[in-house]
Amino acid sequence: MRQTLFLFRHLVRTDLRATHGVAGLVLFAIATLYAVYQVVRGRPEPDTWNAMAWVILLFTAFNGVSRTLEEDRPEVLAYLRTTVQPVHYMLARMLHNTAILAGLACFVLAFMGLLLGWAELEGPRLWGFVAGMVLTSIALGTTLTLLALIAARAGAGFGMTAVLGLPLILPIVLVATTLGDDLMRGVVVADTALNFAFLGVLGLGSGTLGVVLFPYLWRAS
Amino acid sequence: MKSPSMRHNESSSLRVRALRGLGVALLVYTFAMTFGVPLGPGLERVDVLRSEITENGGAYELQLTGVGTHFADTASLVFVRSVGSFGQDPAILNATAIKAASNEDLKCRVRLPKYVPSQAWDVFVNNPIDGTISYANGFFAEGVQPTPKAGLKDDRAVLSRLAEADLPFHFPFQPNIMESIRNLMLHVPMWFTMFLLMGISFAQSIRVLRIGGDAERDRKAVAAVKVGLWFGVLGLLTGSLWARWTWGAWWVDDPQLNGAFVTVMVYAGYLVLRGSIQDDAMRERLSAVYNLFGFALLVVLLMVLPRFTESLHPGKGGNPAFSSYDLDSALRAAFYPAVVGWMILGTWMYAVALRIENLRARLGEAKRTAPGFAPGDAPRPNPSAAAHRAALPALLLPAQASGLEAFFVADGKMPVVAGVAVIIVAGLAVWWALHLAKLRALRRELDRLNPEEPAS
Repeated sequence: MRQTLFLFRHLVRTDLRATHGVAGLVLFAIATLYAVYQVVRGRPEPDTWNAMAWVILLFTAFNGVSRTLEEDRPEVLAYLRTTVQPVHYMLARMLHNTAILAGLACFVLAFMGLLLGWAELEGPRLWGFVAGMVLTSIALGTTLTLLALIAARAGAGFGMTAVLGLPLILPIVLVATTLGDDLMRGVVVADTALNFAFLGVLGLGSGTLGVVLFPYLWRAS
Repeated sequence: MKSPSMRHNESSSLRVRALRGLGVALLVYTFAMTFGVPLGPGLERVDVLRSEITENGGAYELQLTGVGTHFADTASLVFVRSVGSFGQDPAILNATAIKAASNEDLKCRVRLPKYVPSQAWDVFVNNPIDGTISYANGFFAEGVQPTPKAGLKDDRAVLSRLAEADLPFHFPFQPNIMESIRNLMLHVPMWFTMFLLMGISFAQSIRVLRIGGDAERDRKAVAAVKVGLWFGVLGLLTGSLWARWTWGAWWVDDPQLNGAFVTVMVYAGYLVLRGSIQDDAMRERLSAVYNLFGFALLVVLLMVLPRFTESLHPGKGGNPAFSSYDLDSALRAAFYPAVVGWMILGTWMYAVALRIENLRARLGEAKRTAPGFAPGDAPRPNPSAAAHRAALPALLLPAQASGLEAFFVADGKMPVVAGVAVIIVAGLAVWWALHLAKLRALRRELDRLNPEEPAS
């Protein structure tokens, strides 16, 4: 656990030292949102709002996860392989990705509210939507981390992550959009709780799978 | 001297041959059943001809249209049933003034009180020749109030007066689906077979990771995925055809369809991933990790999530299998052998695909060790790819919708079954033709490279 936290802290510190990585993600999210704003102009329909929120989150997630870190350079990897256990490394990577995605999700939401209004969301349903987005980012983060590492190992970049990842996250997106749709239509948070549970279980499940499978990836020469 | 064990795999043992014979026999049986067994009688339409709404309730005049029924030859009982909200006892009401205009035409009258458990009613007809036939939600009562605690005069006694009919062996008639229920033996086993093959691939990938650096098991995993994908695509095509003439669209938003789409995409991604990695050991390992991750997620996504979603597929919303309502004993007698038969065919094709992968690996090895080998031999163009491109425009031609409609819906949608059978038989025939040709070509090339050790 201490090793995981140490690695996580290290990843965060690397990000803080070279802020252009994260700043690039934020800029990407803002630019996408602004493009959408230009197309929609004003207050979109709740359905459109919902669809756009998730699509923007999805795009940002793919970008965020398939960023190349200092750690992905072969010489750094070779050093890490002799000093760190794969389980801890994977957990730290997942934690790092999830934290970034969750932060980005909140940022995207806030910015959407600023530009496009809140559609029909208010009160507890708004907070439900935020919670749903955070849970989705966790599920996306855990699923995509392993796939991005596979793609990086294959020597193919962003495109490969999308090819491998998009079909697998489709069900997550389905659950998430259903949840968003429910909240948009005024369903009480408690009545759509099952969808929250699904998102949580999906995140947990893919996280566990990733941690179990990653050591095999780690050993691959 | 290279490993002689590889060559012994080429000839199949007696037991394997017996199993394949059984598979072929089962498939012959499947096709005979699918096209030979008649369809039972049933209700095709229920129309409300006239309705009178008063303060006390409504009176509805219904017209029932049957298929293969004998309304005029015998006296029929007609009653309607409403299940209402979940957990309630069903309410049953008799119809009166039953008049048969012909064997396929029956008129009757139903009186409903003002407060009913639900506005949707199942319609039942019983007579000594046709037995009990029904149309679920066949009649929607406009003008009466649905309430959860509706007190109804119940004609439950009718259930004890039902006549038993002595029908020949037949498939059940379902409105809208009609003859296309036969597709159950063709379309559904495609998915069963695909899952079996993906399961084989999953098991082999686990062993690749556990043992490590095992090229043979890696080839098994990829051969199974390739054949499984072929079955998956056939399942998508046949399902799309069936959906068009029963649900009205080539593709609909349905958890089962999403699952099928995701599965095919995931395994296509698996093949893309393999293609992008040059190093053999790395490819084995990475694709095995992806295969395990993908399959484990798929099982959760396809087996668990759809249970909580509404679907057009039967038996959904709680249970991803067939309920007794959907699958009667006649269908079972045809369906289960069909599944086993298609699965045996799938494993046979897997064996052929594996043989091709093995030969390819041997060929690569032989090329590397052959005298006068120059790295970077130009690959020959694939003739089948050009043929595919030429065939594509024919498939993309805009369909003459009205003509197609008339064609497929005729004869109780029997042409849909024929279309599905043609897709499957043609798809599998193409597979066998391509792969047997490939097998021959590989063997010939291998023989050319090292003539002292013939491959065939």
